[in-house]
Formats: sequence, C-alpha cells, structure tokens
Amino acid sequence: MVGVRKDFPPPVRGPAARALDAVTLRIPAGEVVGLVGPNGSGKSTLLKIILGLLAPSAGTCRVFGVPSERVEARRGVGYLPEAPDFCPQLTGYELVSYHARLGAVPARALRVAVESALDRVGITAAMHRRVGTYSLGMRQRLGLAQALVTDPRLLVLDEPVSGVDPVGAEEFCRLVGRFKAEGRTVLFSSHLLPQVERVCDRVVLLNGGRLVLNRSVAELAGRSGAMALLVDPLPVFRLEELRAWLGTRGAALHAVEPSRANLERVFLEAVGRAAVEGS
Amino acid sequence: MKAREVAIARIWLIAGHSFRKAVRQRLPRLLLVMLGASWAAALVLRDFRLGSSEIRFLLDAGFGAEAMFGAILAVVATAQLFFGETERRTVLMVLAKPVRRAEFILGQFGGVLLLLLAFCGAATALLSGLLWWRLGAMPGAAAGAPGAGPLVVFGDVVLCGVVQWLRLGVLAAVTLLVACYARSSLFAIMVGFAVLVIGHLHHLARDFYELAGSTWTAAGARLLSTALPDFQLFNVADRVAAGEPLPGGLLVGIACYALAYMGVFSALAVFCFQRREL
Repeated sequence: MVGVRKDFPPPVRGPAARALDAVTLRIPAGEVVGLVGPNGSGKSTLLKIILGLLAPSAGTCRVFGVPSERVEARRGVGYLPEAPDFCPQLTGYELVSYHARLGAVPARALRVAVESALDRVGITAAMHRRVGTYSLGMRQRLGLAQALVTDPRLLVLDEPVSGVDPVGAEEFCRLVGRFKAEGRTVLFSSHLLPQVERVCDRVVLLNGGRLVLNRSVAELAGRSGAMALLVDPLPVFRLEELRAWLGTRGAALHAVEPSRANLERVFLEAVGRAAVEGS
Repeated sequence: MKAREVAIARIWLIAGHSFRKAVRQRLPRLLLVMLGASWAAALVLRDFRLGSSEIRFLLDAGFGAEAMFGAILAVVATAQLFFGETERRTVLMVLAKPVRRAEFILGQFGGVLLLLLAFCGAATALLSGLLWWRLGAMPGAAAGAPGAGPLVVFGDVVLCGVVQWLRLGVLAAVTLLVACYARSSLFAIMVGFAVLVIGHLHHLARDFYELAGSTWTAAGARLLSTALPDFQLFNVADRVAAGEPLPGGLLVGIACYALAYMGVFSALAVFCFQRREL
C-alpha cells in the first residue's frame, strides 16, 4: 500500500471527509499484524481498501502483487467484518458451504472443507441448527469459519473479538497462534491492546487517518528496557533476602505490590472448570 | 472453465442462495395464505357477481389477487433481500471473495425471479385447481355453451401466470435499481410501489398530453412513458376471463418488452452498485 488516501464525499454539501491520508504500509508474508487506533481512525477503511471493497482516492494498494480492486487479488483472502450477522433462517453448514463455493472450493472437497472450518472454530455440534438460534459468540465463530473455509493465505479480521466473552477471546488468540504456525498472514484490527500485544508480531497504529506507528512488538516491548519479575507470594523475610540478592547483582527492587486476583484469570478458571464438569 | 462460465456459475450460485433465503422467510408464505384467503372470500361472495358467470367472477378475483399479492412480494422481497445483505454485512463477506459486484447484483435478481416464479407457479396451480373443482360442480359447464368455446382454457390460465411473472420481474428490477441507489429499504419499497402505480396509469397521461398538451408536454409524457414500464400492457387476464384466446404474437411482444426492461433496469442497478461505497 503506497500513499493511499481515501476521501468520502459529504452527504449533502461541504468538504469531503478524509478517512485515510498518505498511508504507506507493507505487510510481510507470515506475520501477524495488529491494527490499532481510536474510533474513526480509519482502521476499517484501510481493511476494506486492502480487500478491494473500497477504491482509494489516491495511491495504490496491491495484494499478493495484484492491484486490490481486481478480483484476482481476493483469491487466497479470508475476511471477517466487524459484528457479522447472517440470515437467521439458514443453518451454519449451509452458510459456510455457500461461502466455500463462492471461494471456488471444488465440489468433491466441499464437505470436508466446510466441516473442517466449522470444527476449527468449535461449532460442529451446532452446524445443522439455524443461525437464528446461535449466540453472538457463535455467530462470530461462524464468520471466522466462512473466512477460513477457502484455506486463505491472508486473513483480514475486523474487530474479531468485539462482543466475544473472555473464553472466546482466549480461543481466538490460540487460533491466531495456529494460523501463524501454519504460515498464514493475519491482519486484524482491535481495541484490546493486551491481546494485540500478545498475539501480534507487528503493531500498526492509525490516528486521524494517518499511520503514526509501525513497529514490531519486540521493538515496542524493549523500548523502556525495564523487566518485570513476577514471583509467587513471599513472606516478608524472604522479600528482604530477594532484595539483598538482587543488590549483590547490581539490580534494585523498585516496587513490591501485593498479589491480586486477576478477574480475567478467575473468569477463565471458573468457566473452564464448569465446562470440564459439564462435559 | 472459461471466465464467462465461471461468472454464470457464480450468478447461479448467488441466485440459488438468495432464493433459499427468501423462500424461508415468512413473507412469501404469508402472501400465499392471504391469496388463498382472498379466493376463499371470492367463493363465499360468488352470489354477488352482478350478472357475470361464476367462473368469470372467480377468474377475475383470482388474477386480481395474484397481481396484488405478487406485486407486494416483488417489491418487499427484493428490498428485503438487498438490504438484508448490506445491513448484516454479508455483502462484504461475499465481495471479499473473488466475486464481482455485477455477479452479486445479477445473482440477487435471479433469486428474486426464482421466488416470483415459485409464487406465480403456486398461485396458478391453486387457481387452476379451484376452477377445476368449480367446473366439476357445474354439470356441462366445462364444455361451455353450445357454439361457444369452453368456459376456461387452462393453457391460457397458465400463460396468464407466465405474463404475471414477467410483470413482477420488471417490478422487481425497478425495485432493485432503487435499492442499489437508496440507503434505506423503506425508501426502496415506497418508490417501488410508486412506480407500480405510475406504470399502471401513465398511459392515460401520455394519451391526454398527446391530444391536449403542447409539443413539449407531449414529448415529456412520451419520455416518461418510455422510461417507466407500462404495466397495463401485461393485463391479459381480462381476455382470459372473457374467454378470448391469447394470440401468440401478443405474448411474444410482452415477453420481449419485459425482458428489455429487466435487462435495462438490472444493467443500471449494476452500474449504481459498482459506485456504491460499502
């Protein structure tokens, strides 16, 4: 993507709204890239330009070397829009099968591809139920299944964990890890910075339509040079021993905080235990 | 496979999917039930037929109800299908795959045409069944009066259903064009019904201005009547109800007229949709 600008015409009169301004970005194959930024910063517009759903007002965008507005650029791309919804009268299997056929999955491999995609996102048991009976999280997973069913090289995910419970978000992180291990390129936008930091190789920050940061997570993490040391709860005299030991090695203990239960961890443990007991 | 064959296969796939979605919604079933109810009412009220024969009364009521409920289905289902895709963002998932916008719109239109075909087919079959039953209840009625033709020519009833389908197809194409430009389904539905009313009446305005208006108003009226389809041309039900035969030339002319308007309106819909910011 080189020098991409996107202006939206005003509804009546007045100046055009500039959603993206001179954005130049290259996403290396096999990387997991997180796109972050405040609301209205141009994240979804950028993703839509990559997918050829919007035409840039200026600049060029190429996917796998093909201009993004051409149909050929979308071969090998899977896309999950923000808060997807589906026709409630159709079943999950019917919907994913339809998207597989649109993505030119051969008829002889259709059944296996659909069942495999549904299995990866964990809704095999509900695949013959109508989508109207699915929860919000299940619809999100169904959206992911339709993106995965064509076995894409590039996955573009717009706010994939918005409206998803912590268990779903945790599963999403695991899935992204698996995509990375399989050599797929993943580009996703999110407001959840801890998750972006956890699963991404690179972070791209947009603000007011401008690209303000494009760094690897390792680079960003190493910026302050500080390291945090987490230990199991210690009695006070052990803490003094630790302080003295660090001192002998030229390090200082700057802060000691009491151990607090992490709400997310408590939630995951409780829900995970309930799920195990339920099964 | 050649690119054109692939494109046709994708249009067919989208049409089949759209048809499946539409047919599982409540609207077509509700309209079929209402159609049946209106025919049942016609049966109950057949004693108030003001001198015409019972069969003619049933044919009039049957074709009239089919035209009305079919028009509702054509306008509302087209708008619902299109805005269902845009509001649920499924259109983004479809177009993020190697699918052209033109294929998407033509597939949507194909799905509506299949839905309307199913509706007209079911309505024609039900009406034929109803007429068959009433003819059976009137000894000697099937043969008609001596020297005259039969009271009902079932082949013409079927042809009337085909003409009805073509008329609804043109109306659906107009609605799809408006939907591709509009931002709300309500607007598309209202404009669709407005075009339906204008399409039934504008020949009166054209005739009036050609006789009484200035050259400019006559030209304006002629332009309007060319731009919008004349739905009165599809009115062959009166002939069938009157027991008159349907000439083949008339049917071919109607089919060509309908296909031309469907082609132009769907091409314009593709043009609008290609410029639409999603």
